[in-house]
Amino acid sequence: MSTLTLRSEPVERIDLLNITPKALSSLSHADAAKLPVGTSRRGLTLGDIFAIKLDGSNSLTIEGGSARLDRVGAALSEGSIRVEGNVGQRLGEGMAGGSLMVTGSAGPFAGTGATGGIITIEGDAGDHAGGAVYAAKAGLDGATLIINGSAGDKLGDRMRRGIILVQKAGARVGQRMIAGTIVAGVVGDEPGYGMRRGTIVAGSHGTLLPTFAETGTPDLVFLRLLARSIGTLGAKNLDLLKGPMRRYSGDLATIGKGELFTPAG
Amino acid sequence: MAAWVKGNAADTDAAVDAAATLLATARTPVFAGLSAELAAVRAAYRLADRIGASLDPAAGDSLYAELGSISASGALTTTAPEALGRADTVLVIGKRPWDGDLVAELAKTKPVRGRAAGADRSVLSLGGSANGSSRHVAYGVGNASLDVAIGHLRAFVRGNYAGEEAFGDLAKRLLAAKFGVVIYDAGEIGEAGTDMLLGLLKDLAETTRVFALPLADPFQGRAVTQLAAWTTGQAPRVGFGRHLPEHDPWRFDSARQVAAGEVDAALWLASLPSPRPDWLGSLPAIAIVGEGSADARPETAEIVITVGVPGSSAGGAVWNERRGVIGYVEATGKAVADTAASVIAGIAKKVEEKGASC
Repeated sequence: MSTLTLRSEPVERIDLLNITPKALSSLSHADAAKLPVGTSRRGLTLGDIFAIKLDGSNSLTIEGGSARLDRVGAALSEGSIRVEGNVGQRLGEGMAGGSLMVTGSAGPFAGTGATGGIITIEGDAGDHAGGAVYAAKAGLDGATLIINGSAGDKLGDRMRRGIILVQKAGARVGQRMIAGTIVAGVVGDEPGYGMRRGTIVAGSHGTLLPTFAETGTPDLVFLRLLARSIGTLGAKNLDLLKGPMRRYSGDLATIGKGELFTPAG
Repeated sequence: MAAWVKGNAADTDAAVDAAATLLATARTPVFAGLSAELAAVRAAYRLADRIGASLDPAAGDSLYAELGSISASGALTTTAPEALGRADTVLVIGKRPWDGDLVAELAKTKPVRGRAAGADRSVLSLGGSANGSSRHVAYGVGNASLDVAIGHLRAFVRGNYAGEEAFGDLAKRLLAAKFGVVIYDAGEIGEAGTDMLLGLLKDLAETTRVFALPLADPFQGRAVTQLAAWTTGQAPRVGFGRHLPEHDPWRFDSARQVAAGEVDAALWLASLPSPRPDWLGSLPAIAIVGEGSADARPETAEIVITVGVPGSSAGGAVWNERRGVIGYVEATGKAVADTAASVIAGIAKKVEEKGASC
């Protein structure tokens, strides 16, 4: 297992795009230390920020996180990255495969554009987790995002594919959702604003939009399949799916093919 | 012309030299405000490029409420003259459009060209202030936010909801328009609301013609957006820390950067009126402000330099909202010697002399 140990809190934002086990596996210690990661004119390199220990394996541990470490695991396609601490924005942006684990909390836009692999955040996630960044076509796009703490507002904004599992999330979960699935213990106000397709399962929720219409408590095979699917991920919200669920259809301001499930009764 | 350095009166040259010293030694400087004539904004982008600064206009949040939506899905837009000439139906959303004189002018005129020429013009409002000064039909939003109300209306326009409710009536009026225009402020309805509204207009475009007329912000944001596009190929919030313009609306949000302790020096450019950021006094900063403005005083920042005000004590190219273009305005009074552009150019020259890294 290769290790990057943070020397001290970075004085500027650090961009770890392309710092993956695969990229490091072919580099000598000296070459890895020269990789540019700073975002100011100081030209900081990987060696300036981290003590580096490489073994050529497909797993990487970053010891000592910081909210200034951006794009951790971005472009990850295979192998694993574990961060012992916090990370900044765009965790796992565009990730295509492998696994990414953060023991602390993540900044905004975690999992944006990620097409494959599993991202796990043990702490909290900022706003727009699984959401789209400026001018992007979509947010989460096929990967699995697990947030064991709380997520901020607009979880899954414009997500197109994949699954998000979260204990608690803020307002406007699934805003402008194109497709995909979100399973949450608790969500805030106005879930599904502008959603076109996709599924939100919420143990409880805040104010619902006037453009969501209740469609009964159907016994759907889909929900049992979903429970089986997320059960393999060790999800903590499985109990949600065991009882009867009330279904709302929305957002009827759009094509209205999305759905919100909450426990009936 | 007046200038102050650390609260003491100084001549402009000394203040420019102090500003250059501050910026030349900064690691991650920020240029904020950018409420100024275009020559000054251009000079600011050039200086930012030289020293690796990032830029964020005062109108940033409002600009990105609109740009975020347009960048993802596009928009059907028109201009004020086209609205005056062609619109038989005008929907005014929120309160901000009532601040200007456009709504009143629309309310007392008729379309003179196009499909609706000679027809009466209906002015409708959604969640507006209903000030009674202009003839219009008002639709309330109750306790709902504007973006939720727009979504609710869109459900009626799409035919997913039907009935005699107010939004049903409003939807019928919009669907019956020969040439409709919707006036709004993207900053007031937010990015999601803007997205929903532009989607509503696309739905209406299936059967008729209805266009968006978003209001410009009052802090030169539209002009800055154009300049940023032709200078960097990006929208305004860019940083030059890595020798190329990187666009990132979250990372280069100046208020966020300062709150996170990521900024060690700032330049606030406001030769035209602009709200002074709360954080300006919290770090070493240069304020370039209009002569005679409320911020032309030593307490505003560590270094304060007053400059000519475009359209008053200086000429300059600024945003013309009615025409929707950048236009030149002459100085109406006695022109002052220093403009914001010349001051920033002077700072850049001094920075070069001091050999700042680039």
